[in-house]
Amino acid sequence: VLRMTQLSTVLSILAMFLHTTFGESGCTSADGDGTLGDDEPDNFDIDCFSQLEIKDSFSSLTCNFTELPPHNTNYTLSLCTKEDNNYMCYNMKKQEDAYFLQFTDLLSKTDICMFSEIKRRVCRSLVVTDIVKPEAPFAINITYQREANEYLICYHTPHSSKKYLKDKLIHQIAYRQKEGTWKTIESPYLQIKLLGKSLENDASYEVRVRSQPNGDYFKGTWSEWSTSQTFRTARQQHSTENYSSVVVIILSTLGFMLCIAIIALIIIFWENRIKPAVWPNLPDHKKTLEQLCKKPKNSFDISFNPESFGHVHIHKVDGIRAKAELENFLQPSTAPEISLPEKSRNGSDLKMIPAKTDNSNLSLSVTYGGVWPAEALHRLLGTGQFAGTEGNCSSSMYEVCHGTRVPLHSGGSSLCSAPPFHPPGQLSPEPRNDDIVSQMLPDSEMRSPNNEEAYVTMSSFYKIQ
Amino acid sequence: NPVFFRSTLPVLPLLLILPPVNSSSCAMENKTTEIRVKYENILSHDINELVNISAENRDRCWKNKNRENIKVFFCNDTQEIESLQSMACNMLRFFRKERISKAFRWKAAFVACGTLQVLQCKCEGHKKEK
Repeated sequence: VLRMTQLSTVLSILAMFLHTTFGESGCTSADGDGTLGDDEPDNFDIDCFSQLEIKDSFSSLTCNFTELPPHNTNYTLSLCTKEDNNYMCYNMKKQEDAYFLQFTDLLSKTDICMFSEIKRRVCRSLVVTDIVKPEAPFAINITYQREANEYLICYHTPHSSKKYLKDKLIHQIAYRQKEGTWKTIESPYLQIKLLGKSLENDASYEVRVRSQPNGDYFKGTWSEWSTSQTFRTARQQHSTENYSSVVVIILSTLGFMLCIAIIALIIIFWENRIKPAVWPNLPDHKKTLEQLCKKPKNSFDISFNPESFGHVHIHKVDGIRAKAELENFLQPSTAPEISLPEKSRNGSDLKMIPAKTDNSNLSLSVTYGGVWPAEALHRLLGTGQFAGTEGNCSSSMYEVCHGTRVPLHSGGSSLCSAPPFHPPGQLSPEPRNDDIVSQMLPDSEMRSPNNEEAYVTMSSFYKIQ
Repeated sequence: NPVFFRSTLPVLPLLLILPPVNSSSCAMENKTTEIRVKYENILSHDINELVNISAENRDRCWKNKNRENIKVFFCNDTQEIESLQSMACNMLRFFRKERISKAFRWKAAFVACGTLQVLQCKCEGHKKEK
């Protein structure tokens, strides 16, 4: 029993030792950590990059020695993967100074190994998704947007139609003036805009683009630069356009303010000035007559008081020539309207057309330079007494406005006016014949001896009526 | 018999130590984040291509209506990784089916190998074609 116990213990220890040694890894390396390689350190400097989907679904690996190994040493670079306890290595093809290999597996853990005659094998871990070098962009197109004064730069990348790096790249756009320093802009998109104000006018510029993985999962280096594209910026006329636009803005502002001012003026002066001129009010007959019948000035001497005419020279008129004509006018026929001639006449040229029997409109114009005698007046009117008579004056009318020579029409109103008088300033020198005696009498002598006989007052007219 | 018990006691550790060496256990059981990242950035694109190829060859479906073949692509709940492993391994079996188009077979094999690589699983009984 003791021996059996000891035997089982030994077997269990042996089994544990074997399991630990072999296990599932099946690795026979001396490292014991499951990696390739001998105990020799990875003392070779090599620079590699991968290009995904370079040809259909195949990816590529390109490696260069940073430190060339001795020329007389044959060496081989291989990409090795661990597979089922075995390492499967794929030799890279030498192309000039680089080593190239196509592969498809991006998920397996790979190592880059160098096989040389001196050293058995030297390996180093390599993650192909961390050394991705995208393909260079192409087809750069530059469009000038005049309205916005911007330059739209569009470009393409081969990875837009592929699987792994689509929308996972960041692009760097470099531009410079002719032989100037490069300026760079980074963008994840396939287009970018340059402001025109940041560029010189009428100058030549050069643009180029390159790409790099954005680092979310794929990492790597910048691609090669694309083919450069040149463009020329707009000329000075754009600044002129800016100037003209500023002028337009200023003029528009001034015009707007002018319109505001005009509208304000219209509103202010509408009632007082504009409306009466544009839409005059129809004259009111009452107001019009009131305006015509203006109040006399204080200095205007209107009075039928004989005493107020004391300063007026009274010319006595005797043997007035108009008597013969007067008789003619005393005919009962309707007297026509006679307008006074413009030229003034003396009392001998008096023409009167009394319409004694006709109460129709009578136009009688009289012109003389003296004082109507009462007798002549009576004869004219066909009445015995001038004063106090009624009805006779109603049908007659005569002008007493010597100065204006304007015939008066009457619609039946009785008007026996006083002898005419010359308004101040309107007295016109009239030629006087021999029948007219003009006497310059003193004021005291010129006063009418009988006021009632020489003057006809308005009150007498009312009495006549 | 205590003597018998003491003699057989070391055998128990042997049972734990000596399980089948070639068991297909996946090493990415608790690494779901890494699995998801690799799937989103690499494996999903290949699966989409495989789906497109199968859509183009829809009229060429198998006339063999053996229902056992349908079960090879089922996903068991709470056993996603084991299900994916099973599906990948089953998909590799079709690589040698000459009735299936070559492009589809190659793509299917590529997806299957990629799945096993992401999960770090192995299949039993056959080798993965490179």
